[in-house]
Amino acid sequence: MTRSGYTFIAPLLLLMFAAFNAPLLYMLGMGFWSKGGGFTIEHYAALADAPVYLRVLAGTVRVSLVSTIANVALGYPLAYWMRGLGPKGQLVAVALVITPFWISVLVRTYAWIVVLGNAGVVNSSLLWLGVIDTPIAFLYNEVGVTIGMANVLLPFLVLPLFAAMLRIDNRLLQAAASLGAPPRTIFWKVFFPLTVPALGAGALMVFILSLGFYVTPAILGGNRVTMISNLLDKLINEIPRWEQASALSTLLLIFTFAVFALYRALDRRSAA
Amino acid sequence: MSGPGLSGPGLSGQGAWSRRLVAFVGIVALGFLVLPLLVVVPMSFSSAKALTFPPPGFSLRWYQTFFGDARWMEAMWVSTTVAALSSVLSLVLGGLAAYGLRRFAVRGQGAVEANFIAPLVVPAVIVAVALYLGFAKVGLLGTYLGLVLAHTVLAVPLVIMVLGVAIRSFDVRIEQVSWSLGASWFRTMRSVVLPNLAPSVFAAWIFAFISSFDEVIVTNFIAGAYETVPKRMFNELILEINPTITAVATLLIAFTMLALAAVAVMLHRAGRLKDTML
Repeated sequence: MTRSGYTFIAPLLLLMFAAFNAPLLYMLGMGFWSKGGGFTIEHYAALADAPVYLRVLAGTVRVSLVSTIANVALGYPLAYWMRGLGPKGQLVAVALVITPFWISVLVRTYAWIVVLGNAGVVNSSLLWLGVIDTPIAFLYNEVGVTIGMANVLLPFLVLPLFAAMLRIDNRLLQAAASLGAPPRTIFWKVFFPLTVPALGAGALMVFILSLGFYVTPAILGGNRVTMISNLLDKLINEIPRWEQASALSTLLLIFTFAVFALYRALDRRSAA
Repeated sequence: MSGPGLSGPGLSGQGAWSRRLVAFVGIVALGFLVLPLLVVVPMSFSSAKALTFPPPGFSLRWYQTFFGDARWMEAMWVSTTVAALSSVLSLVLGGLAAYGLRRFAVRGQGAVEANFIAPLVVPAVIVAVALYLGFAKVGLLGTYLGLVLAHTVLAVPLVIMVLGVAIRSFDVRIEQVSWSLGASWFRTMRSVVLPNLAPSVFAAWIFAFISSFDEVIVTNFIAGAYETVPKRMFNELILEINPTITAVATLLIAFTMLALAAVAVMLHRAGRLKDTML
């Protein structure tokens, strides 16, 4: 064979370098470049000095953690329930999980304004039932943002988790049952431990995606919930401080890669 | 990723109480997932200006507003052409690269593949910041070309993943037979490889098209004066609640579901539905 693999790969590598790798490297460099020229860490020092950055960082991690926990609490039972369905039921359930996954995040986020607003579906139902006297404020605070994010991210947890649960051999569970283990023991001692790597990988994936969320906090949080992405938007588009945006992006990137490395390790174990 | 026991029974003899609880949470979670879609569609046919649910009456006024608005139509045109160009570009370059990665021993294969998947892992907002700064440096910021290139890069991981799986599962010996019978490389590609991979190529193209058509973050940063449908939606949503958006959203839902149904039918015929979806 005269052709080498790189004949096929080179065009895409070239494009990726020009429109992905080079801009990222340029951004990394800018975070360490001082106005007068030369290396500096002043932009990182500026990040540590301003309390607003720490506040936004803490808020981002808090919202991301709660969204991830909500995802696990809803996603695990859903995947487990789907595993026990018949073939037709599984097909319908998978279709219902995949369809929202492919529909614009904007559309799904927008719907929550209709559902959670003061005159929205939830509040008018609760008022009508007499559970509350005044509408509950779900929007333009962390509650709304968290609900919206959990909704957008749920398929990322459920799909791989369901796939991992399907790989578990039923004979293992039958063996445990034939040895006299009660259902609860079979679940906690046999089934659940086998799903832990996939659950961990899915949860980490959801967490990574939450950290960079932009659309949902901007729309459901109004100006009152600022996550890292929205702060980056301000640093680039409103008060141009490109060097600080570079420094902040670099930190987020490093953190993302660290969590991703953990994800890869767990994902390999769940596939094995 | 198919495994044994697709339709396997749940844990036999599990307590009825806990089984019911799992079913309840499962159904609630499914409802939670599809609730946004179930709310938006009826709202788009509402006759009222306020977002009240259920809608007080039926009307098509928000669709009329959308199709009668020159700015929305312009955004529609930009979105469609950018999605068409970037999806074809990512499909051609990504397809070639996936073929090279699967059919040859490539030095540094892991690193190359990781690089191609990276746009999916790196948070979109970081890609947006990097492209903003990089494109500003070379004069691509706010240009149509810059927009197409950015959308192409973002679609590459989807193409590589879908076609990578498909090429791996296509027996290399069939290609070797074609060569040994004297077919040129081009002929082998056109008459043997592509027809066999057609369903996956179609799926990859649709995924790339949807990813570009829905992209909002990077577009918002680098598009300058160009307006795509998601960019306009996003900026309107931040300012005010305009029911026209429900019509746009419903059209997007309908378009996405049709495209996904087409993909599902194609893959199902080729017997590859489960491998690609899970």
